[in-house]
Amino acid sequence: MKSLFFLFKKDCRMMASGKFFLVALGSLLLYTLFIHFGYLNFMEDNSNMFNVYLYDPNGVYTEVSPLVLPVASEEELDEALAGDTGGIGIRVKDGKPNIVLYAGTEKVDRHRADYALSLLHSGIGYQPETVGDNTVEMKLRREITCELLFIEIVAVGFLGIASVLFKEKQMGVIRVHAIMPLSKSLFVFSKVFLFLLTDLIFAALMTLFNVGPKEAGGILPAVLIQTGILSLIMALTGFGCTMLLKDFKQFSLAYLVIALFVATPVFLSANTAIKIDWIYYHPFYHVYMGLKNAFFGTPVTNPVYYICIVCVIILLFGIATAAFRKEMGKEG
Amino acid sequence: MIEVKNLTFSYGKDKQALHGLNFTVEDGEIFGFLGPNGSGKSTTQKILTGILKGHGGEALLFGKDLREVHTQEFFRKIGVLFEFPYLYANLSALDNLHYFSSFYPKEQLRDAEEVLEELEFKKDFLRKPVSSYSKGMRQRVSMARALISNPKLLFLDEPTSGLDPTGAVLFRRIIENERRKGTTVFVTTHNMLDADLLCDRVAFISNGNIVALDTPRNLKEQNSSHSITVHYQYQGRREEKMMEAPELKSGIPFPYDELLSIHSQEPTLEDIFIRYAGRRLS
Repeated sequence: MKSLFFLFKKDCRMMASGKFFLVALGSLLLYTLFIHFGYLNFMEDNSNMFNVYLYDPNGVYTEVSPLVLPVASEEELDEALAGDTGGIGIRVKDGKPNIVLYAGTEKVDRHRADYALSLLHSGIGYQPETVGDNTVEMKLRREITCELLFIEIVAVGFLGIASVLFKEKQMGVIRVHAIMPLSKSLFVFSKVFLFLLTDLIFAALMTLFNVGPKEAGGILPAVLIQTGILSLIMALTGFGCTMLLKDFKQFSLAYLVIALFVATPVFLSANTAIKIDWIYYHPFYHVYMGLKNAFFGTPVTNPVYYICIVCVIILLFGIATAAFRKEMGKEG
Repeated sequence: MIEVKNLTFSYGKDKQALHGLNFTVEDGEIFGFLGPNGSGKSTTQKILTGILKGHGGEALLFGKDLREVHTQEFFRKIGVLFEFPYLYANLSALDNLHYFSSFYPKEQLRDAEEVLEELEFKKDFLRKPVSSYSKGMRQRVSMARALISNPKLLFLDEPTSGLDPTGAVLFRRIIENERRKGTTVFVTTHNMLDADLLCDRVAFISNGNIVALDTPRNLKEQNSSHSITVHYQYQGRREEKMMEAPELKSGIPFPYDELLSIHSQEPTLEDIFIRYAGRRLS
């Protein structure tokens, strides 16, 4: 415990001297200002962005909302949806309305379909089904806070651990730890623990500032658990990459690979209309959805998810420690 | 203290660095390991300090097999000076020493400022970051790190590297003091002067093999031609004569007016190394 305390103290100093805490604080302020003064205003101005197109050849629906855009043929409906992929089409067949969406958006929020049907029935007091109890603003707040937190941990946290470790590698001090009377895995543990702690504080403040203290109370424990999972995975991956790669240039390339091939499909799949068949096999998709569900008050309860996470973390810790031992034995 | 039998090590399938080394280091001895770059001396030190694993053969340290001694207790007993001064550049000398010494039991430690003072470290720099230090100052802090835990066995890799002649003399004096305290010292170097002045015994290593092992004096005597050069003045002229040492038994065997100097033609350790290894030390 004594050794861990001194390692942790030194790591705090290294991170402070590398201005890491300042960068994290800056990011927190920037994200908060963006959400409050940029994103929410922009999204609320565009809240009526779902166009509803109606193809009703027999004129079954006579008292539709003026927001509904009638089309004359099925071809015209298809064309309209091809040009406006966020739009919702209604094709009336045998007197029943069928929802038509642009290919790939079948699993997008149900509230869009309900919104379209509510416009169709506006004349006869149709009540759309309510999904969740969030206001539009609260839904937007939760969504964007989750996305920015994910970016912060995946990108900034990952680069942060690399910047600290590459400094230690360049100074050669990692080799000195090889002959110190301390358990070598404590070196890995101390760094990962510090990043975990930083990420948890960041996540808590991010949630409090942007979701609001009242709403945050209910979701914070689940958000912190999912943040902790993501933080541990990214910190250990960053640690291993730093030990195995020669310099920051190589690391930047590895980072690009991670950003492009790991984070991008997850974001595209979870937040846009793009449909990726293999996304369920992508481990980060499940971690991201775990975080998103935590923000919406429906945390993951499946024990298989947590068992897999524990196994991955143990495996990554083993790889990071082995890479650390290898680095200690290298020539100066 | 150290007993090595048929020590082998390979960095890969085709890269054998050590080919069966055999040597012993007695308690309180200063043992020199001399060899050029890439000869296997640093690999040997890394194996003995527990940094490199997977060696072949047998190595005993503190009477125990090397594979069993690399515990925290073992690391408390050794001090290591690396070839380069590995220090936290953003921390001061004192902060570095306090950090590294924090892993040892308090009762074992020397006072950081006292050790630095012994190493004639400039007091003004004690609290300044290492990044502002000269190479010699960094080497002093590194040496202080190796000594601060009062090690029983001290591994020194190129101890006087980066030091000016005064600094080198100081380091040699400190190493001598350590030996007087009973510390065993394992010096890895290609500096023949350090080896000659410091070491009780030296081993020459070349291409992963020990090619000679003895005291510097014995090595010189065994490899000496026993010839002597005499510079003298005779009838107003400066003369030089070479002869075998036994010829001097009954005095100077030639006429002279004044003897200017008598030099033995003793080989240096480097000459001897070249003779054994067929290559230079550096």
